[in-house]
Amino acid sequence: MDFFSAGLGLACLSFVLGFAWRVHGRPGSRLPAASEQDRRKSGLAAGLVDIILLRRTLRTGKLRWAGHTLLILGFLPLLFLHAMDGIVTRPLFSGYEPTLEPWQSARNALGLAALAGLGLLVWHRGRRLRAFSRVQDWALLGLLAAVLLTGFVLEAAKMASPADFERMVADFFPEADGDEFIALQAHWARENGVRFERFLPTAPEILEQGRELHEDRCAGCHAPTATAFASRTLADALPAGAVLPRTMAPIFWHLHVGLAFLVLALLPWGKFLHPLASPANLLVRGGRWDSGFPAAPPARNLALEACTRCGQCSLHCSVAPSRRVLGNVDILPMDKLADLRSWLDRSLDGARLADLVEGSHVCTECLRCTQVCPAGIDLQDLWISSKAALSEAGRAGVDGEIRKRTAGEWAHELASRRLGKVGASGSGLADHAESFWGCVQCTTCTGVCPVVAVSTDPQRDLDLTPQQIMNYLRMGLKAQTLGARMVWSCTTCYKCQEHCPQGVPVADILYELRQLGARTLRHRGKP
Amino acid sequence: MKTYDVMVIGSGFAGMAASLFAAKRGLSVVQAGGTGGIDFSTGFIDLLAVHPVAEQRVWEDPFAALVALRRDLPLHPYAHVADDEIAAALEEFTGFLEENGLCYTGRPGRNTLALTSAGTVKPTYLLPCSAWGGVEALEAKAPTLLVDFHGLKGISARQIAEVRADWPGLRTARVRFPGMGGELYPEHMAWSMADQARRIELAEAVRPLLGDARFVGFPAIFGMTDTMAVVRHMEELLGRRVFEIPTLPPSIAGPRLRAAFDRGLPALGVRTYTQKLVSAAEVSGEMFHFTAGSGSTAVRIAARGAVLASGRFFGKGLKADRHAVREAVFDLPVRQPEKREDWHRAEFFDPRGHEINQSGLETDAALRPLGADGRPFHPRLHAAGAILAHQDWMRMKCGAGLAIATACKAVRELSQNL
Repeated sequence: MDFFSAGLGLACLSFVLGFAWRVHGRPGSRLPAASEQDRRKSGLAAGLVDIILLRRTLRTGKLRWAGHTLLILGFLPLLFLHAMDGIVTRPLFSGYEPTLEPWQSARNALGLAALAGLGLLVWHRGRRLRAFSRVQDWALLGLLAAVLLTGFVLEAAKMASPADFERMVADFFPEADGDEFIALQAHWARENGVRFERFLPTAPEILEQGRELHEDRCAGCHAPTATAFASRTLADALPAGAVLPRTMAPIFWHLHVGLAFLVLALLPWGKFLHPLASPANLLVRGGRWDSGFPAAPPARNLALEACTRCGQCSLHCSVAPSRRVLGNVDILPMDKLADLRSWLDRSLDGARLADLVEGSHVCTECLRCTQVCPAGIDLQDLWISSKAALSEAGRAGVDGEIRKRTAGEWAHELASRRLGKVGASGSGLADHAESFWGCVQCTTCTGVCPVVAVSTDPQRDLDLTPQQIMNYLRMGLKAQTLGARMVWSCTTCYKCQEHCPQGVPVADILYELRQLGARTLRHRGKP
Repeated sequence: MKTYDVMVIGSGFAGMAASLFAAKRGLSVVQAGGTGGIDFSTGFIDLLAVHPVAEQRVWEDPFAALVALRRDLPLHPYAHVADDEIAAALEEFTGFLEENGLCYTGRPGRNTLALTSAGTVKPTYLLPCSAWGGVEALEAKAPTLLVDFHGLKGISARQIAEVRADWPGLRTARVRFPGMGGELYPEHMAWSMADQARRIELAEAVRPLLGDARFVGFPAIFGMTDTMAVVRHMEELLGRRVFEIPTLPPSIAGPRLRAAFDRGLPALGVRTYTQKLVSAAEVSGEMFHFTAGSGSTAVRIAARGAVLASGRFFGKGLKADRHAVREAVFDLPVRQPEKREDWHRAEFFDPRGHEINQSGLETDAALRPLGADGRPFHPRLHAAGAILAHQDWMRMKCGAGLAIATACKAVRELSQNL
């Protein structure tokens, strides 16, 4: 079995097995079904438009869109017309030869377009997404670039290679005598850039004879190599007099083909799948930007696979500042998605699982990541359902831990501790008498509070109301407030603070207490 | 930066009235102040009911009281405003409230005794239409049912009935407020009354208790923005006259007023900066420059004239430390007792009141506060409302009226100078 068949076979096997593994037993079914599923039909046409025009990608930036468009417009024709020419191009176009026009110039143009696209994507990633990038992000870009570059180098090497010339003459002009061979060599060296070891004559009649022989014997399959403008430029860039070793072209061929097989083999793994999964997901989403359709397990599986790790969600995440403070990458949608996938595959535990739980609960479900995702992933649905699944699995996060006991029980535990302060200055609002000097216990904060308003019995549902918490704090009873469900149910809408006639920073204080409580429990939950 | 004709400092009765009057007179108006103060209003608009304070003399005719007041206390701010101007200002003010969904009523030229949540009566000039049934019921000593709620603090129907021993037809009942439990807060209840189903549930809870009652009184919780529609619906459901009694501050009456101004003033073109206290002022001959709010949300405001309606202590127009009282924005001289020990009398309920409650700004006849040299601090700076000296609005029962009347006067004087 030769290199090509063996390589192709192995790559296909890897692709099929990897794809099967990735699709097999996909864990979307471990997420609870959305309580209200939107059964509206998705718009197939809108999904197609999203795919073809890369509409969602355009929304995240012209540079990314241009990069992707160039890459796809260059790469797809190369894949079908060049890499698969034996089964696509040759049957479709009679007289097809890769060395004829327009194929030769088209190949160069497409390759350059794809390379330009890759260049834009690398530049964009380096400039805007460096902080979120992992090895595989660079690996995908690097591998594609390597395939394209080795293609150009291979073509250039073949042009310059005397060995290839000799092989072709032996195959297609075996009867050539010595003079004819030299004349043809002279023509090819002058017109098509082949580098021969020996000095070749330049007499016009010999060149004319070479031209005639070329027309007769070669031109049927060979357009001038100058039409392969990029590769020819590369070949001409060799120093004058340099001759390629005979092994060079075969080495580049093995490299080029081997790298292409590697890409095929890697396709089911990591983000390498996104060129397939993202369009499939866009089709399923049918042009919708909101959340809620369709939340069935297969759609969720697809959503879990469609991430391109483009990082747009992380750039737009509302709670990204929390990530900077807490240092937990799972606060950002892109990384949280990857860990969620691992957790659903039952391969996530320990500190990483704690990070996922925390990240899930820092999320405010603001919908921004869903709206910005170029792959159209319904992230909102994944967050809401995974939060429920995590809680179901006993991983309700700090928020859930707090609710397992009453404020009084927490006070009992926390009272024996030194409760830290929050903030870079080391001093919290809750620790300063000045914060409460103005408080007259008028209940305005409680009266305007929407959380109190929706509770059917504030004391039973919330333990303490905002003005009661202010009163506890000014009496120095901080431990008694940390576990109060009012603190943990506060939506930080700031109505209390906006309406306080005395300028007490009520919402800031509630938020500070929650931070302090979260930090206390964070350290408690981790070894 | 836009230059406004008038900067109104304060968002209580006086500030709201000044913004309203200035905007109605075609001036460009910007207003900044804390939002909390007006939440403590009872909703009653007092004009003048008690004078002299030491004698606790209650007047039925507020304009007669004004004549006596101006004669006895020539420094009182009312001395600078004429009766017809006061009457016109009140009419314009309540007209604005009416347009914004708050109905007011009263008897022209007469104070009315309104029922309070403590069972006492308070003489006032204008009161919310939703409370008027209580006035009629009280005056006629009609058979009336007073309802209060489990969990709502600050109003007890039984206490009202005990205090009003002169009203034998008064019965009381305590019911569970539908849909809520535990401790109740008036604003939440008022919002929930926007739901007609909630009114029907409440009416069903009260109907078996009606008996011979011709009136039914409730704590003031009948809606935030459509109070009279709720009252009429309740009357329809119960087949009785229905009225509200304001609860202890902060009652729903204050937020209703604030909501009416929040809706109405921007519609008149007033630029309002809510919950932004004015923290600094720079004054030149031509211009005022203010900083409102603090930190990253602070705004700079330029205006050619200003009305200082920042209130007294609770409104933060005046600041008191252990030694002295200062004016918060311009550091204007404050008329105050000479020594700290003169601030209060020995008895808290001394009928003469306390000296500190007369402190505030001295002004000229155009209500321009006086500077240290005894001359107006600035030709286009006027003051209105509680920050003015020589008045004890709480004991005289003249708070809202004084605020509205002096705001009107201040705006009129200022507009002539712009």
